[in-house]
Amino acid sequence: MNICSCVVHTHPDTGAEVAPRLAALPGVEVHAGMEADKLVVTIEDAGDSLAADTLGALTRVPGVINAVLIYHYGGDDAAHPAA
Amino acid sequence: MTDTRDISRRDFIKSQAAIAAASVAGVTLPTSLLAQAQDQAADPNIRWDKAPCRFCGTGCSVLVGSKDGKVIASQGDPDAPVNRGLNCIKGYFLPKILYGRDRLTRPLLRKWNGRYDKDGDFEAVSWDEAFDVMAEHWKKALKQSMDENKGKSVDEMTSRVGLFGSGQWTVWEGYAASKLLKAGMRSNNLDPNARHCMASAVGAFIRAFGIDEPMGCYDDLEHADVFVLWGANMAEMHPILWSRLTDTRLSKPGCEVHVLSTFQHRCYELADNPIIFAPQTDLAILNYIANYIIQTEAYDKAFIDKHVQFETATTDIGYGLRPEHPLEQQAANAGVGAKKPSSFEAFAKQVAPYTLEYVSELSGVPKDNLLRLAKAYADPNKKVSSFWTMGFNQHTRGVWVNGSCYNVHLLMGKISEPGNSPFSLTGQPSACGTAREVGTFAHRLPADLVVKKPEHRAFSEQVWQLPEGTLNGKVGYHAVLMHRMMKDGLMNCYWQMCNNNMQAAANLNEESYPGWRNPDVFVTVSDPYPTVSAQAADLVLPTSMWVEKEGAYGNAERRTQFWREQTDAPGESKSDLWQIMEFSKRFKVEDVWPPELIEKAPEYAGKSLYEILFTNGEVDKYPFEGKITDARGNEYRNHESRDFGYYVQKGLFEEYRKFNSGPDIIKKGHEMAEFQAYHESRGLRWPVIDGKETLWRFREGYDPHVAAFNPDVEKGDVYFYGNANGRANIIFAPYEPAAESPDEEFDLWLCTGRVLEHWHSGSMTRRVPELYRAVPDAVIYMSKDDAKSRRLRDGQMALIKTRRGQIKARVETRGRNRPPNGLVFVPWFDANRLVNKLTLDATDPLSKETDYKKCACRVERV
Repeated sequence: MNICSCVVHTHPDTGAEVAPRLAALPGVEVHAGMEADKLVVTIEDAGDSLAADTLGALTRVPGVINAVLIYHYGGDDAAHPAA
Repeated sequence: MTDTRDISRRDFIKSQAAIAAASVAGVTLPTSLLAQAQDQAADPNIRWDKAPCRFCGTGCSVLVGSKDGKVIASQGDPDAPVNRGLNCIKGYFLPKILYGRDRLTRPLLRKWNGRYDKDGDFEAVSWDEAFDVMAEHWKKALKQSMDENKGKSVDEMTSRVGLFGSGQWTVWEGYAASKLLKAGMRSNNLDPNARHCMASAVGAFIRAFGIDEPMGCYDDLEHADVFVLWGANMAEMHPILWSRLTDTRLSKPGCEVHVLSTFQHRCYELADNPIIFAPQTDLAILNYIANYIIQTEAYDKAFIDKHVQFETATTDIGYGLRPEHPLEQQAANAGVGAKKPSSFEAFAKQVAPYTLEYVSELSGVPKDNLLRLAKAYADPNKKVSSFWTMGFNQHTRGVWVNGSCYNVHLLMGKISEPGNSPFSLTGQPSACGTAREVGTFAHRLPADLVVKKPEHRAFSEQVWQLPEGTLNGKVGYHAVLMHRMMKDGLMNCYWQMCNNNMQAAANLNEESYPGWRNPDVFVTVSDPYPTVSAQAADLVLPTSMWVEKEGAYGNAERRTQFWREQTDAPGESKSDLWQIMEFSKRFKVEDVWPPELIEKAPEYAGKSLYEILFTNGEVDKYPFEGKITDARGNEYRNHESRDFGYYVQKGLFEEYRKFNSGPDIIKKGHEMAEFQAYHESRGLRWPVIDGKETLWRFREGYDPHVAAFNPDVEKGDVYFYGNANGRANIIFAPYEPAAESPDEEFDLWLCTGRVLEHWHSGSMTRRVPELYRAVPDAVIYMSKDDAKSRRLRDGQMALIKTRRGQIKARVETRGRNRPPNGLVFVPWFDANRLVNKLTLDATDPLSKETDYKKCACRVERV
């Protein structure tokens, strides 16, 4: 199981616009930061889509300048919901 | 099956993850999420400890979470000044690189009928058998070298053994290797893979400032008004620095970013002044900027009068190829590095031909873009930081082009203060700390000392307790020369550690492979994984990596960082440090030193190199209590100290400090704190004086050496104390063409480099399934026009050829890299598509660093 969090920088004043685009990606939740254009995002494995794949996809979402990883958990002690 | 416990555990981890991210971003989280996290205490079974990242030269600190002896989690270290809690995508893979399915666990030797045979197949052997066979070959070669060196002075000594090390080695691994090769075996054939990435930067630092490494630090990323990237794809290669730069660009009014490269990459998304120039013309662009500054009289006259002296480089210096190559034959001054004295007036005349019109025409850059760039440097009210990486360094005129950038900063006095910073970035985690500072190069000794100078050798002999005249005074074989010498049968034993040079070195078909497979050469490769190099070796040694050992790295801003051993390595793996020290036990001093040298130190007769180099009363000075305990009471193993019986890392580091921090050192300016201080901090930037790090060197108020060297210094003024006269050198160097340019037959430029997902040759990152899936193969990035005119479509397999070889790869015209017409970019991480079959081993004749960015190729339909 992989769970990670990251901070996603968006173009100025587009945080609220970009957030739903990110949330549409598999395993992604946007928790905060719309006003600051710095989105606090968690990503978990979702079916065939591993967190890393999604992490890589973040920078390709329109409006995203940069996505930086903060935390990663990769232990196998908490089962994947689809497992 | 999922039960409610799993879901709650997952939610808990997720809330922890979100809190970590929110705290880094300075953003408030919804109270519901915070409450959820507070409901459960942090997992007491996970032990967290800091470690610098294993990958690039940025030197981010990560918190490593281990549970039941396995690394299971990582987090950007919120207390780290470098990354402030951030972590790039490679941080995600840090724990995973330890657990690739094909980790090597036992030594492997090529055998046939029960005996070593170069043409045999790999069989698992014991460490004893591995080192027995290896030592037999090394002793034979060392004996031959001793015979050949009879009657020669130390300045003429050669050696048939060599070690190819790494900018990913820990500080003590590099130091121990330097002792074994240079002090023990009297061979200067020790070079790091940093030769391929940093040598040009080093050459320019020494020529301009007399002392290596940047004067500034990462704090410049918040202080600068203008950023200029020269041949550095920071967005992909140094994402955390890019993130800091992005923050400044978006938050500081008037801040601007200039990006220069030979093709468009991800940094261009943020570029205010995007510039694509024809390969090699960076030399001309820098001279144009210097010319603009002089023509407009924007230069800082007072600074120049007081702090600068002018010189001019010897020109027409060849391309570092084999001496019989026509290009070397044609060069008037092949390999000559001598500088001649010059003056401001002479310099002004030399750069005068580099007009806007001429350079725009030569480089293909529109005049407006060049002018905007020149104006940014020339504006006295704008603080400018220039960052560069391989575009400058992997360049047949790499030392020149680094130097020409210093010229521009020095003309304006924009140096050694917050935000004004010419900054050479590194690609490896300890290219600075290990390769450069320890001096694991063929010409260097620790702390900027060099083998050529008798007084530097004498000092080193005194620290290392060696009889006078032990150290070899002749510069050894550099990385590229090693392969040539192996092919020619003049170097017979080669040990590669912590890198993948069969994949990394240029001109694989003509030099590397024939060298390694020469029947008269015995090749050992130490690696955690069966890389291309391991497969081409005769003996493969399984190696502990990263947090499977206690380590120290030095990053690009002079920051030394330590970590503790977090977890065991698989099988019989041992660290490179253990391997170097254990191997030294196989040699009696009589195997490596002639009788007349042993006579000068009769107490060494009959002793092993291990006894002379490591149990010398210094390295074995600190006891090992069976475990390492941190300030919080956490306990860690240390496999080398356990096996050797003393605190090996501490002993080696404290002896190394005699070179940079002792009372009688020859070159001041590299001072470091004592061992324990680094375990207790997030690293310190040298020079460390009285426990305090230095952010900006050469400037009074920041660097205590300035007043020590120049008691009359005015408040806040600079003094370039690396040079005896306290002045930095502005050295004119002209534009000269590349070694190989496109022609009718090979009509495109070939540039090679990295991608975000795969670090260097992919030895580690290609073993992480997610990364492999994301970017499985190297592709040929090319323009749509170039593809179309060759009847190639996006995604189609194509043949790419040079005068040296050919490979097949798919064409990519819509990817993250967008080359202009006439140039293709191919990454080098892919072991199935070895782009170095194509590249030319042309090097900067001064730095001996290969130009991986420029040769001529052809792309055609398969």
